[in-house]
Amino acid sequence: MPLSKKRIGIVCPYGWDTPGGVKSHIGDLAEYLIAQGHTVSVLAPSSSDENLPSYVTSAGRPISIAYNGAVARLLFGPVAFSRVKSWIADGNFDVLHLHEPAIPSISLLACWAAEGPMVGTFHAASARKKIAFAITPFVEPVIEKLNARIAVSEAARETLRIHLDTDAMVVPNGIYADRFADASVDSRWSGNTMGFIGRFEEYRKGLSVLIEALPQILRRIPDIRILIAGPGDPESFLAKLEPHLRNRFTFLGTISESDKANFMASVGIYVAPNTGGESFGIILAEALAAGASVLASDIPAFDSLLGGGAYGTLFASENAADLADKAIALLEDPERRRAVSHKGHDYAQSFDWDVVAERIYDVYEMAMVGGRGVTLASDNRAWNRLLGRSNE
Amino acid sequence: MNNFLLAFFFLSIFAWYLSFLATRLNRLHHRVETSWANLDGLLQRRAAVAIEIARSEISDPAASLLLTFAAHQAREATVRDRSQAETGLTGALGILIENSADTQNPLEQELLLELKDLTAKIKVAIAMHVESVTRTQMVRKKLFIRLFRLAGSAPEPVTYEFEGDVF
Repeated sequence: MPLSKKRIGIVCPYGWDTPGGVKSHIGDLAEYLIAQGHTVSVLAPSSSDENLPSYVTSAGRPISIAYNGAVARLLFGPVAFSRVKSWIADGNFDVLHLHEPAIPSISLLACWAAEGPMVGTFHAASARKKIAFAITPFVEPVIEKLNARIAVSEAARETLRIHLDTDAMVVPNGIYADRFADASVDSRWSGNTMGFIGRFEEYRKGLSVLIEALPQILRRIPDIRILIAGPGDPESFLAKLEPHLRNRFTFLGTISESDKANFMASVGIYVAPNTGGESFGIILAEALAAGASVLASDIPAFDSLLGGGAYGTLFASENAADLADKAIALLEDPERRRAVSHKGHDYAQSFDWDVVAERIYDVYEMAMVGGRGVTLASDNRAWNRLLGRSNE
Repeated sequence: MNNFLLAFFFLSIFAWYLSFLATRLNRLHHRVETSWANLDGLLQRRAAVAIEIARSEISDPAASLLLTFAAHQAREATVRDRSQAETGLTGALGILIENSADTQNPLEQELLLELKDLTAKIKVAIAMHVESVTRTQMVRKKLFIRLFRLAGSAPEPVTYEFEGDVF
């Protein structure tokens, strides 16, 4: 493979200072590409210029908008547009990688302003939230400019096919598999335990399903413990529970990345009872990489990530009785647990950045055939050329 | 006077819209060309690897002959015969891969690995080409584009039959 270093521009639609799946995906990808010797610049909305990694350029302060069923921190408007344009003009990029370009954001603006090799990645997967694509007639001619489309999951690909009538290739989100493979078992968390990571107060994370299943599990496995890591208020949460269930819960608060890996490697079962709203389920890929035995609801994202149950156990979503049955069966059969999690561990390597980023870079290379580089669309317009406003 | 201004205004809007459509179509035609150039390049590389494999110990003499023939055909085919030639090469390589699961020679392993890598890339390239062609065909059907002949003399882009094959 010829080693040629490229100039790559990546646009993140969501505010850089709010944690999120898309943001961390872009951060990891950018760092991987930089480590490979490429020059990478990320354009993202940000509240302040401080604490930004050196490869991130701020496009201005994001606005909180209720969008697509959640509050998104987005940015658009004439000021943002001129920042996007000058970023493209100064960047002299070989290829642009736009994330979530179908929503009103700087990704869409960049796609509008730029001419040349462009790749778009679509993260969102939702059949119901039509509003996300209500602007289709305006978006279509813009999205058309993308040389290649990537969807992060089959569900995202299906969403794209329904709403924008266009096909995409599936490249999953990446994880640093090594960090999880090196995890060690911590005796505080091992044994008959079920681990859960996430904002446990959010209904869609599904902790209430687990609580409903707990009495049934307790009857068979009296020493079961539920370990919960993630932000939230344990006191008000515990107050809602029956007294005899309370002492089964341990709250760890927010844990560090290395603790997270050890946590996943230690717990008897890693449980993800989410009721929906997941487009990829990166946490399950991480749990598999750490060698955890995974028990997850059968929502589309988890079902496809766990290979229909080949690399972890699925239970009927929002069905507490089924969750309890599957959990008991797993906890009583350590042999089977080991066998499945061993397979899952090998499978998780396919989500490693070494694999995923190379696949994304292959797509870049294909988009770059012809090698014109990225320019501003306005430079190519006839009247601007006539007036001598072109940069060339 | 006012009517005249209004007419002028709408006329310029319309002219702008036509120019917008023409730019859009031109861009799509360009996308079809580059995605085909990309796919074509990958297919040429696949034929080259196939010939290498035919010369190596991986394939028995009969398979070698079949492979060399298919690869040369794919390389030299005219546009009209290209699709059939590529399908032939895909088939020949498919048979070979099935029968050569356990080779120990590092050089041969490298060849097979390269072939696997190329096959994956060709799949992506085909998807990109098909997408750009169908999109272009869709836009070319638009009323104003046909009415004002905005496609000019650019030939209607087509997908090839072999692109529908499951690799």
